[in-house]
Amino acid sequence: MSLSPAPHRLLRAAVTAPVFDFWSRQFGSIQAWDRCLARVVGRREEARGAVTLTLQPNRRFRGFAPGQHVNLTAEVDGVRLTRSYSFTQPPRADGRLRITVKQVQGGRLSTALCALRPGAVVELGEPYGGMTLPQGPGRYLFLAAGSGITPLMSLSLALEQNPQAEATLVYWAQHRDELCFAEELRTLAARQPRLRLHFALTREPLRLAGEFGRRLDAALLDEVAPELAAVQVFACGPRGFVEQARALAQGRAQRFHGEAFTPPEAAGGGAPVRVQLRRSGQTLEVPAGTPLLPALEAQGLRPDSGCRMGLCNTCACRLVEGVGQNLDSGETIAEPGSELRICISAARSDLTLDL
Amino acid sequence: MTSAALNRPLSVAELDAFGAELDALRARTMAQVGAEDARYIRRIVATVRYTEAAGRALLFFGALPPAWVLGTLLLGLSKILENMELGHNVMHGQYDWMRDPHLHGKTYEWDIVGTSDNWRYTHNYKHHTYTNVRGMDDDIGYGLLRLFPEQRWRPFYLFQPLIAVIFALLFQWGVAIQRLELGKVFSGRKTKAELREEFRPVGRKMRRQLLKDYVLFPLLAGPFFLPVLLGNLVANGMRNLWTYAVIFCGHFTADAETFPKSVLQNESRGHWYLRQLRGSSNLSGGRLLHIMTGNLSHQIEHHLYPDMPARRYAQVAPEVRAICARYGQNYNTGSMWSQFGQVIWRILRHALPSRPGKAAPLVAPVAEAV
Ligand SMILES: Cc1cc2nc3c(=O)[nH]c(=O)nc-3n(C[C@H](O)[C@H](O)[C@H](O)COP(=O)(O)OP(=O)(O)OC[C@H]3O[C@@H](n4cnc5c(N)ncnc54)[C@H](O)[C@@H]3O)c2cc1C
Ligand code: FES
Repeated sequence: MSLSPAPHRLLRAAVTAPVFDFWSRQFGSIQAWDRCLARVVGRREEARGAVTLTLQPNRRFRGFAPGQHVNLTAEVDGVRLTRSYSFTQPPRADGRLRITVKQVQGGRLSTALCALRPGAVVELGEPYGGMTLPQGPGRYLFLAAGSGITPLMSLSLALEQNPQAEATLVYWAQHRDELCFAEELRTLAARQPRLRLHFALTREPLRLAGEFGRRLDAALLDEVAPELAAVQVFACGPRGFVEQARALAQGRAQRFHGEAFTPPEAAGGGAPVRVQLRRSGQTLEVPAGTPLLPALEAQGLRPDSGCRMGLCNTCACRLVEGVGQNLDSGETIAEPGSELRICISAARSDLTLDL
Repeated sequence: MTSAALNRPLSVAELDAFGAELDALRARTMAQVGAEDARYIRRIVATVRYTEAAGRALLFFGALPPAWVLGTLLLGLSKILENMELGHNVMHGQYDWMRDPHLHGKTYEWDIVGTSDNWRYTHNYKHHTYTNVRGMDDDIGYGLLRLFPEQRWRPFYLFQPLIAVIFALLFQWGVAIQRLELGKVFSGRKTKAELREEFRPVGRKMRRQLLKDYVLFPLLAGPFFLPVLLGNLVANGMRNLWTYAVIFCGHFTADAETFPKSVLQNESRGHWYLRQLRGSSNLSGGRLLHIMTGNLSHQIEHHLYPDMPARRYAQVAPEVRAICARYGQNYNTGSMWSQFGQVIWRILRHALPSRPGKAAPLVAPVAEAV
């Protein structure tokens, strides 16, 4: 005999996601109806201007692979900001997560995260990213600059569980005191012969043994990876750095995978931009700077719309990625998760919309 | 007084200047929106939740009359706040900039039998875009009442004083079925099958609301099933009456105007603003009145700026009023008693045949060349 579904349905009538989440937080819990919340349980100054946070996620967290990133959302002055951060440790037995945030000059979320104290609660999205280590034999060259060390840190640590992989890590910073994980990396390299470690410091007057003193160039690449054709290169850091690594290694290395950490820039008016519609799985080209609703309609789409003058909110859809602009106010909209009223908003870069 | 005596027709150039001033006021105000508004709406959420919890808890002791009265009042208060200051305003997208999924305009679901999706269509889109345009804005009498002499009289309207009272008591049900446009089914412009399809989400929402207020919470009270059920019924009734009164005061006072469809042709932004102004009326009062009406006491400001966080309306109101004065436009405001009195008068007066007075034009006729 099955129980009648009635009690379940009755409860569902009274308890909705907003109600559940509200009371859960009132009682100091991080459980949520359908979102992954995480509590800051540890904080450490990792280097000058960088902070490592240890997070305890709730049951919604589904796990990740070393080298992956997660979209992290926190509230700053009442507004939720979302940015990507990389896990800096492989998955742990206790389920906790480690991320390291480098404070960007004038950066809104990085500044707020560096100031977070244990007890604070943030939200996590689905982990993502393809810069991971497959099991099995492999030779790797990890090129990291600035906060680009973060995913490569968890990959370096993951070598321990991957006995057939070996790697060389070259890690750039301007000054020695900006190096994250310096001690942890030295200890790891001393213990683990399959990891070779080089720091590179571009603004430091004195160099120590094993340190480079210049930016990435062909000679440096030859020195750290003489048999480049047999090596897979992972590069991570500011866009300029990743492009430089790509120019040097792509085509010559066995494989090149680069990930840039700096946000996209806005395109001028008229230039064609790509609009990706996530829900319908389509990608279209539209001119930058013109209202999106008529532009999408011109290509045969029928997004929801009403007033067509920016007041009824019917056409609003979520900006997943990219830069948009409200043509009425001129305001630039680049925060992921913002609502774009497409009847009065234009694309200013390649965009992904939740449409 | 007639509208013509209260309002000066504006020239096209004046309309543009009028619109530009209101646009500038909007831009100035929106630039200030931020942390303070976020804190405010979160406090409202907390007030809604705590008053609901306290009300429902007290109703469990509803066999004691003071507990029943206080519990019912608190629950009614919670439902009113949720409906107006929270639900209505959030659904306009007033707090979308916070990017909080629980305060998200397009997905917020409110605590009444009507679905939020239908509301977003009939209210956010139809009512706000075509405010008081006859044949476009269904809120003019809700297809049930004759409130303006421009609506064609039928003998059915003789019963409207009674119908208006029933409608007020059951207001949330009226809102729930508004989008179904039952009139079209009777006149054969909509098939029964179409109606059934459209009714499905509405029926689901109705069932959910009924289960919650009239089955689940009464059952949880065990022996006090009946007091809890009655308390919930009265709380819902309080919310119905209050929202009905506030909404009717917003558009059906003596000086509120309706417009023919022709106004929509090539309507300029200034003209749209002017139409919003002339179709809306405010309620004067203190902070409590503003909060309890979801700031729809500032119906004029709400219609000019539907997506501005409503707590800002009180701040922009003096400037809106000054702009209206400069352009010779009536700023329709009054106490709740006076405004609602005018609404009742309309309900009674237009139950009987009535003829429209001379309409005051919004735009001044272009002067003949001399
Ligand atoms: C896949 C991915 C993984 C990332 N992982 C990490 C990580 O593990 N740790 C970490 O600290 N950061 C990481 N970042 C960068 C991070 O997402 C944010 O961009 C960074 O924290 C700045 O955000 P903000 O809100 O402080 O700056 P904003 O307020 O968004 O920007 C302020 C100014 O700084 C500039 N700026 C933005 N980002 C950077 C940047 N990365 N470097 C230099 N200037 C910038 C902007 O152009 C702007 O002018 C990652 C980015 C991506 C795309
Ligand atoms: S269609 Fe109404 S806001 Fe865009």
